[in-house]
Amino acid sequence: MSADQWTQHLIAVGRDQDRRAFAALFRHFAPRLKTWLIRTGSDERLAEDLMQDTWINVWRRAAQFDPQRAGVATWIFTIARNLRVDHHRRHSQATTVDLDDADEPADDSPDLETTMLGQEREARVRAALAQLPEAQRNVLQLSFFEEQPHARICAELGIPLGTVKSRVRLAVAHLRRLLDDLES
Amino acid sequence: MIHHHPAAELLIDLASGRLSWGMALIVRTHLDGCADCREQVRMLEAVGGNLLNDATPAPLDPQALVRTLTAIDALHPAHRPASRSTAASAHARRPLGSPLPSLPDGMQWPRSLRHCRIGPWRWLGPGMRMSRIRPPAGVTANTFLLRIGAGRPLAMHSHRGIELTQILYGHFNDGRATFGPGDFDATDAQIHHQPVVDSEGECLCVAAVDGRIVFDGAIARTFGRMIGL
Repeated sequence: MSADQWTQHLIAVGRDQDRRAFAALFRHFAPRLKTWLIRTGSDERLAEDLMQDTWINVWRRAAQFDPQRAGVATWIFTIARNLRVDHHRRHSQATTVDLDDADEPADDSPDLETTMLGQEREARVRAALAQLPEAQRNVLQLSFFEEQPHARICAELGIPLGTVKSRVRLAVAHLRRLLDDLES
Repeated sequence: MIHHHPAAELLIDLASGRLSWGMALIVRTHLDGCADCREQVRMLEAVGGNLLNDATPAPLDPQALVRTLTAIDALHPAHRPASRSTAASAHARRPLGSPLPSLPDGMQWPRSLRHCRIGPWRWLGPGMRMSRIRPPAGVTANTFLLRIGAGRPLAMHSHRGIELTQILYGHFNDGRATFGPGDFDATDAQIHHQPVVDSEGECLCVAAVDGRIVFDGAIARTFGRMIGL
């Protein structure tokens, strides 16, 4: 399924409370979200709980989804991330996150200098990630999908811990350059 | 013009949800005034979304979808799609303390700080005052506003953990560089510094510390302990 179809599905959930569209999104993203939750330190039980909370929030907030601000995968990722953050900060079960309270992007109006649509950004980042050398993609992958990313990067790449930060910075700088090239 | 930005790995930590409340607050305050870093965080969130999309699926509880739909059916009608406003619960969670003081010259508090509540201002040394930012209920954080008079030095100190600082107004120089409004600084155990505020005017910063600040000298250490730094 293409990113554009996911967008249509999510819009249908928000507009029509479309359960089939919701189920399709769930079947694709829920097992992947669980992988992310487990790799970043949740046990089986907590991962299932946070995942369910994420989907309840996806349902509740679908009408606020704005493809101008984020692609579907990014939007779902940030909801799950915020719930996970909220859980770990409070050490208690939370079923919802206040929009004002969580690590949402601080601004809801598009910047003058950012004309790129959220959905378009997601697609371009996808293209740029595909062009990134494998070692650098791996650095980013570990940065997002590990509980102790720096230790893992150090172990997997066989580099001293002191050079991990510079590897991360190089990977991000390279990704930005690729994105700039895609724009021009 | 902003000269000092958070490093990429810190923005990744924010985008992937790995920062503590206090650390995230300081980075978010920087983002409020820095379109370039905001765009970089949006890019990194899109990296997270793409990595999620490409992740290997984990086996789910076979009842997971049914359970989720049942939970959705049990939602109050007001929580169906299109509803919003959790203002009441946000209000209930607001910590005690005073609202932020007004800033000079019609300056606005950065959006991320605007709803913060602070504790009493405490004397920290000549021309130096600090006030703790109250974290939300159930969260521990060592986050504070720091007001330092024109030309004043902050006591020489180093850190056991990481200190993040965002400059709201005024300038200081700590021997490594000059920092001004909108600038961000991160220092760790390797940095031993003594910021000195520009003689032109006072300096206001917001800072968060993971771990303790270690001041040089008995008096500064005593003050540090008294205010819990």
